[in-house]
Amino acid sequence: MDVPVLPEQLPPQVFTTGAQLLDLTDKKLVIVLRDGRKLIGTLRSYDQYANLVLQDTVERLYSQDLYADVPRGCYIVRGENVLLLGEIDLDKEDDLPLKQATVDEIYDAQRLESANKKQKEKKKARKLHGLGFEAENELVL
Amino acid sequence: MADTENGTSTVAEPLDLVRLSLDEVVFVKLRGDRELRGRLHAYDSHCNLVLGEVEETIYVVGDDEDDDDTIRTVKKNSEMLFVRGDSVVIIATTT
Amino acid sequence: MLFFSFFKTLVDHEVTIELKNDLSIRGTLKSVDQFLNIKLDDIQVVDEVKYPHLSAVKNVFIRGSVVRYVHLPANAVDTALLEDATRREAAAQANKAK
Repeated sequence: MDVPVLPEQLPPQVFTTGAQLLDLTDKKLVIVLRDGRKLIGTLRSYDQYANLVLQDTVERLYSQDLYADVPRGCYIVRGENVLLLGEIDLDKEDDLPLKQATVDEIYDAQRLESANKKQKEKKKARKLHGLGFEAENELVL
Repeated sequence: MADTENGTSTVAEPLDLVRLSLDEVVFVKLRGDRELRGRLHAYDSHCNLVLGEVEETIYVVGDDEDDDDTIRTVKKNSEMLFVRGDSVVIIATTT
Repeated sequence: MLFFSFFKTLVDHEVTIELKNDLSIRGTLKSVDQFLNIKLDDIQVVDEVKYPHLSAVKNVFIRGSVVRYVHLPANAVDTALLEDATRREAAAQANKAK
């Protein structure tokens, strides 16, 4: 029987966007977007701008010690909206320090949180603007 | 301009001023209510920087407990820091 | 290209990346590309309680544009060499502009 010839090993490090994302292809990932959304799905395709294709995506909502999952399906994500990609350790993913809740419970809790936060942010921006400070481009988490 | 060839003497564009601050302590103002003071070791045309022995000052409004409007500052130190250029507002020499 | 090359010299060193949304992630620098996107291995989120969505994550790809700072180990940086490289890059840029 013929021994299959293995392709020659790539150099240990190829410093391109493609090489970095290649390692994450077909893995279960959490994707954090610039608007703070967290998606969990399998990376199936990408390009040099880190535009992504995700399969079997769920959006995970968080509020304090609660979370809820919303099934979303297939996603194409434009690279500029990606904040980070994290590879999920399948051995650890089930011992989350969180309780599962319904989507509505999370929405209610989030509404309260964000109203408070917005008010504080506004006050802060007003105060610091007087000192010549400028806000960063908005990124939520 | 023959003397720009060695890249050490003339000031033809704003970033040449930054070049003259290499290995000097600089003041850097950033977006997001932050300021840095540290020794400049590197920069590029995007204003990406590397600073050494950095003191960061963050301006914070009020406190979570007592809801007052006073401005506090939080100081942090870092031995070596890369700063992404798109946050940089001002680079100034210190005297 | 200066900082791309610089980060390549820091591969396998421990760094802490602070993002523009205040999230700080510590880990081993594994890779970097021309946009300064960075891959970290064996990560630890500095304020883990506040960011539970990364608790089961072992390595991350961080988009360069969302980085605010990278905290580096000072002993891994040759500052004199870095300043020389900066001057050379500045001179090269000036020549290109002419």
